[in-house]
Amino acid sequence: MEASLASVVDELSRLRDQLAKEVAKRKRAEAAVLERERESRLIVDRIPGLVATLTPAGEVEGVNNQVIEYCGRTLEELKRWGTSDTVHPEDLRRVTEVITQSMASGDPYEIEERIRRFDEVYRWFQVRGLPLRDSNGRIVRWYVLLTDIDDRKRAEAQLAGEKRLLEMVASSCPLSEVLTALCNFVEVTSADCHCGVYLIDWSGPRFRNEAVPSLPASFNDSTDGLPVRPEIGPCGQAALLKQQVIVADLETDPLWQESAIRPLALAHGIRSHWSTPIYARDGRVLGTFAIFHREPASPTQIQQDLIAQVTHIASIAIERALSEAALKRSEAFLAEAQHLSRVGSFAWRVATNEITWSEQLYRMFEFDPQVTVTLDLIRTRVHPEDLTLLHEMIDRARSAASDFEYEHRLLMPDGSVKHLHLIAHGTKNESGEVEYIGATQDVTQRRLAEEALDKARSELAHVARVMSLGALTASIAHEVNQPLSGIITNASTCLRMLNADPPNVEGARETAKRTIRDGNRASDVVTRLRALFSKKELTLESLDLNEAAREVIALSSSELQRNRVVLQSELADDLPSIIGDRVQLQQVILNLLRNASDAMVAVDDRPRQLVVRTARDAGDRVRLTVKDAGEGFDSHTVDKFFEAFYTTKPSGMGIGLSVSRSIIESHHGRIWAEPNDGPGATFAFAIPCAVESSIDTETLRRRIRSTS
Amino acid sequence: MAVASLVAIVDDDESVRESLPDLLRECGFDVQAFTSAEEFLASDSVEQTRALLLDIAMPRMSGPELQQELTRRGHKIPVVFITANGDETLRPRMLAEGAVECLHKPFSEAALLRALNAALRVG
Repeated sequence: MEASLASVVDELSRLRDQLAKEVAKRKRAEAAVLERERESRLIVDRIPGLVATLTPAGEVEGVNNQVIEYCGRTLEELKRWGTSDTVHPEDLRRVTEVITQSMASGDPYEIEERIRRFDEVYRWFQVRGLPLRDSNGRIVRWYVLLTDIDDRKRAEAQLAGEKRLLEMVASSCPLSEVLTALCNFVEVTSADCHCGVYLIDWSGPRFRNEAVPSLPASFNDSTDGLPVRPEIGPCGQAALLKQQVIVADLETDPLWQESAIRPLALAHGIRSHWSTPIYARDGRVLGTFAIFHREPASPTQIQQDLIAQVTHIASIAIERALSEAALKRSEAFLAEAQHLSRVGSFAWRVATNEITWSEQLYRMFEFDPQVTVTLDLIRTRVHPEDLTLLHEMIDRARSAASDFEYEHRLLMPDGSVKHLHLIAHGTKNESGEVEYIGATQDVTQRRLAEEALDKARSELAHVARVMSLGALTASIAHEVNQPLSGIITNASTCLRMLNADPPNVEGARETAKRTIRDGNRASDVVTRLRALFSKKELTLESLDLNEAAREVIALSSSELQRNRVVLQSELADDLPSIIGDRVQLQQVILNLLRNASDAMVAVDDRPRQLVVRTARDAGDRVRLTVKDAGEGFDSHTVDKFFEAFYTTKPSGMGIGLSVSRSIIESHHGRIWAEPNDGPGATFAFAIPCAVESSIDTETLRRRIRSTS
Repeated sequence: MAVASLVAIVDDDESVRESLPDLLRECGFDVQAFTSAEEFLASDSVEQTRALLLDIAMPRMSGPELQQELTRRGHKIPVVFITANGDETLRPRMLAEGAVECLHKPFSEAALLRALNAALRVG
C-alpha cells in the first residue's frame, strides 16, 4: 500500500515537475512571441511605407504611423474602412471582393486602389497582402503593404490619353472632335478645371471657339469672335506676345481689371485663367489653349507638363487639319480646272506599264474610274486609223525618256469622234526607270470650231462683199450726184441763155460744154465701178498693185475728204506685177482705207493724215501699207484684229479684216498691223511677185474660190 | 427783175462753183462763190450776203460749222444747204438746225429758186 502510495506520490511529483517545466517553457515561448510581436511592430512602424496588419478574418488589426498620418484618421476609424470613404467609392466593391476571396483561399493578394489622403485627395496605391502562418500552417495574421503609385498611374493615364488623341489625329477625325477630346482629357487629368481651344483667324484677327466643351453657352457665345488684342484678356496677350500668360486670380490681379474677359469670367464663377499659345512648326501662333479654375490657382509642375504636352498635340492636330483642308482645296481646284479646261493628266511607268489617270481623263475616255488603265484598254478607244500612230508613239516613248507630243482621235462607243492633244514629259527615276508625266486635252471643240470657222469665213467673205457694196452705194451716189447736179444746173443755165432776148449763144455754148464735161465725169465714175464690180467670175491675172490702189483711192477720195482725211499716196515706181484677183485685192485696200479713216474720226488736234505706200518687199514680195494718225491700238490686241467679229468700232461687225486676211492668205501673202512710233497704226499686206512666184496657178485659183 | 441781192455759194466741188453762179446770175442774182468756209469768213462779202448756198460736207470746216460760226459772230444769214449725200434723214436735221432748206443734188432750177426766194424773204 505504502509502496503504491509512494509510487503515486513520485508519479505526481514527476508530473508536477513536468508541468512546471511545461509552464515555464510556455511562458518563455509566450514571452518570445510577445517580444517578436513588439519587435515586428517596431519594424513595421519604422518601415518607410504604409503597412497594416489584418486578422485572419480580414479585419484591420493595426496600422503603422505612416498610415495614420497619410489618412489623417485614427485606427478605430480605419477599422471601419469597409463602410467609410477611405477607399475610393468606385474601388471599394472590387477591393472588398478581392480581400474576401483571399481570406478564404489564403492566397496572397495584390490590388490597385485609390485611398483618401488627409486632405481628401485620393491617390493610387498598389496594395499587397501576405499571410503569416504559424508552425501548423494556420494563418495568424495578414501583413498588408501599401505602395503609393499615384505618379506612375497619372503618367500612364496621361500617356494613354495622349496616345488616344494622337490616334484620333492620325485617323483624320474632325478637328473639333480631337480638340474636344483633348479638353476633356485635361479636365479629367487635372481635376476641377475647364478647358478651351481658341483658334485664331489672322485675317481679322479674331478668335474662334474651336472646342470649349464644359463651359456654358452664355460664356462661349461672348468669347467667340473676340478680336485678338492684348487688352481682351490672357488669350489675346498670349497670342500676341507668343508666351504663356497665367492669371491666378482675375478678381484681384490689377493687370486685368479693365480686360474684356474679367467681368464675363467672374459672372460665370471663373477666378483663374491660364492661356498658352499653340504654335505651328514655323513659329506662327495658331491659337491658344486656355484652362479656367473656379478658385484662384497657379499651375503646378505636373500641370505645366500636361499643358506643354497637350498644346503640342493640339498644334499637330490643327496643322494637320489645315494642311488637309489646303490639300483638299488644291485637289478640288485641280479637278475643277481639269474639268473646265478639258485637260486630263496621266503618269506612265514604262517598265511596268503602270498607268495612273486623273478623274478627268477617265471622263474623256468614258471609262469607269474603278477600272485599271492599261495600254490594251486605251487601244480599244483609239480611232482605228490612229492605231499605227499610237504604236509608233509607244515604241518611241519606250526607247528613250524624251518629251513627246501628238494628236490622235478616239472613236467612242456611240460612234462619235474625239480629238485629243497629248503632251508628255519623260523622266528617269532613281532606279533608272523611265516614267512619263503628261497632259491630254480634249480639243474636239476646237477642231469643230476651226472647221466651222473655215466655213463661216468663206460665207463671211461673201457677206462682206455684199456689205462693202452696200456701203459703197452711198459713196457711188455721192460721186454720181455731183456731176449730175452740174449737168442739170448747166442745162438750166443754157436754156435761160437761149431764151434771153437776144439769146446769149456764146454763154449757152460754154454751159453746154460744161454739161458734156460733167456728163463725162459721171460716165468715168460708172466705168470705175464697172471695173470693180462687173466681174462675175473671179479671175487671176497679172496686175499692177499701184493701179489697183489708185482706182480704190479715186473711188474713196470723196468719202475720205468728207471725213477730212488728208490722203498722201507714195506708190513705188518700179513695182513688179503680181498675180491675183483684182477685185478681191481692191476690196482689201478699200477695207484698210476705210478702217484708217474710221480710226481718225475723233482726231481733232492733228491732221488726219493717211499715207498709202507701195514698195518692193524682201523675199520678192510686193507690199502695201496704210498708215493712219488715229487712235492707234494696244499691242496686246493686235492678234485679235484679224479674227472674225472682233471690232473696235461701235457700229462695226468686225468682219472686214478677217475677210481681208483670208483673201491675202489665199494669195500666199501675209497681212499684219503694228502701232506707229507716233500716233496711229499701220496696216500692211505683202504678196509674192508674179514672176518669182512659185504658186501653181490652179492651186491659187482653187484657194481663192474657196474663200469667196 | 428782182432787186440785186448778194447770194454766196460755198462748195468745195468745182463744177458747182462753175455752174451755179451762172444760173443764178441769169436769174438776176448777184453771186459770189467760195471754195471753203474759211475763204468765205475771211472775205469782205459776209456783211453783204443776203442768202447762203452751203455745201454740208467739206474738208476742214463743214457747212453746219460755218452756220454756227456765223450765228456766233452775230450774222443772221439765211442758209440753204446743198448736198450730194443721198441720206434722207439729213434734211429734217438741217431744218431743225435753222436752215431754210436742204437740197439734195441734183436739184431742179425751180427747187433752187423756191429755196432761194424763201431764204431772201427770211432775210
